[in-house]
Amino acid sequence: MSYVNVTLVQLVASLGLMALAIVLSARDGLGLEKDMAIGTVRAAMQLFAVGLLLALLFQHEHPVAVLGLIAVMVMVAGWTAARRISYGPGTGVLFRYATLAVLVSGAVVLIPVFTFVIRPARWYEARLLVPISGMILSNGMNGVALVFERVFASVHDDAASVEQLLSLGATPQQAVERHTRAAVRAALRPTINALLTVGLVALPGMMTGQIVSGTAPGQAVRYQLVIMYQLVAVAVVAGAMAARFARALSFTPQKQLRSFDDRARPLGPPKA
Amino acid sequence: MPNILEAKGLRKHYDGRVLLDGVDIALERGSITTVGGPSGGGKTTLLRILGFLTEPESGRVLLDGTDVRTLSPEEVRRRVALVAQAPAMFEGTVLDNVRTGPRLQGKSLPEEEARRALERTGLDAQLLRNDARALSGGEKLRVALARALVLSPEAWLLDEPTAALDPERADLVVDLLRSLAAQGAPVLVVTHDERALKRLCGRCCTLAGGHLQADGRE
Ligand SMILES: Nc1ncnc2c1ncn2[C@@H]1O[C@H](COP(=O)(O)OP(=O)(O)OP(=O)(O)O)[C@@H](O)[C@H]1O
Ligand SMILES: [Mg+2]
Repeated sequence: MSYVNVTLVQLVASLGLMALAIVLSARDGLGLEKDMAIGTVRAAMQLFAVGLLLALLFQHEHPVAVLGLIAVMVMVAGWTAARRISYGPGTGVLFRYATLAVLVSGAVVLIPVFTFVIRPARWYEARLLVPISGMILSNGMNGVALVFERVFASVHDDAASVEQLLSLGATPQQAVERHTRAAVRAALRPTINALLTVGLVALPGMMTGQIVSGTAPGQAVRYQLVIMYQLVAVAVVAGAMAARFARALSFTPQKQLRSFDDRARPLGPPKA
Repeated sequence: MPNILEAKGLRKHYDGRVLLDGVDIALERGSITTVGGPSGGGKTTLLRILGFLTEPESGRVLLDGTDVRTLSPEEVRRRVALVAQAPAMFEGTVLDNVRTGPRLQGKSLPEEEARRALERTGLDAQLLRNDARALSGGEKLRVALARALVLSPEAWLLDEPTAALDPERADLVVDLLRSLAAQGAPVLVVTHDERALKRLCGRCCTLAGGHLQADGRE
């Protein structure tokens, strides 16, 4: 089997697809032309930059460079997860916890697999470490973001019940158990659904990529299964950690429910 | 013997407005105290501080002579009942709600005891298996009373407990509060209800301008 190259000319020709999309968007008044145009250029710039970076990394493969890149990925994942939270203690505080959750969940899932399952020739082999870490870390990131978003918001919306439970002697854990559990379940849903339906509708991206680039389907399947299991595990670990962090951040040292804005509290006077 | 619940020098402000400006309050064994005052004057805030849901900026709260900050928050809250103005009901039946407090401690409350607590609040025990969230405001208040009652608290804090009740039910609640006080637990009631004020026969105070003052009427 041989790899089929895409020339630059051929790539430019594929822009015709974007032109088609933009024309249709304009004709049907979808109002997405601008985003599509910007997206076309942005995606190209981002991916070419990443491609250059990877090519550079592969040429000068060095443990420090590989680990450095993964560290940057962890931080960006932590930042992205923390930035999306609409109600909570603020991006600055959440960033630390999100990064820690992404880091720990990623390490728990990646280190054993690279040690025992997918064993690179050199432990710092960028060709394997970087893309696989990227997939795993971004799933951890999504789990953290979802759990943070849901725990802070639902505890706030349900503050009257939470404080009522506290009043009856509940620990913070007991008082927000319902909320943290629901949040972790919701965060796991997409990954578990993917696990249940994988291959039925579409082949997962990585498996597709491997097959297109010439890997025997049998091997591509094995890789994909390992990745799927990793995705589930990382989501569980990241989600559970994020839930614990969110709970801890929701209470004061005296175990009183914190409010992150000045909207009146549930036991306060009814707002007009 | 120390007062069951006592606060000294409580200060609290929100958004630059001082609500409590050095408030002292002592709830003696068996006493009934009522607090009135303008809307937004900080009455609910005072109850929340005494019920250990809000931290004052300064001042101390003593439970039976011990600073509450040296006790576990869970213990303080079990020992001091706080009944909110429109109490939140938990998912489930009235019985589930009344059993919540013991359940949090890993205990199971016999149905008979839940029934007795409900009857003391004047709620028809027929409602035991009803969905608590579908009750009327007045019924919810009585479930909240029963829910706290089964924990045998040492002090009671109530926010406008008769506001959602008709006079007859309100009288029942007042009688219950008086019987709780008669058994030794001090009762602090935030209320504007003249009829309840008269029947409670408590010490009347007003919270205004950050200060709590006795009205000089009993
Ligand atoms: N968590 C909070 N954050 C900001 N402001 C608050 C908070 N809790 C209470 N307040 C404000 O403090 C003021 C006093 O509130 P509080 O509920 O204690 O008054 P109140 O005396 O109980 O009034 P009412 O008789 O209307 O129930 C109000 O202006 C309220 O908006
Ligand atoms: Mg109030």
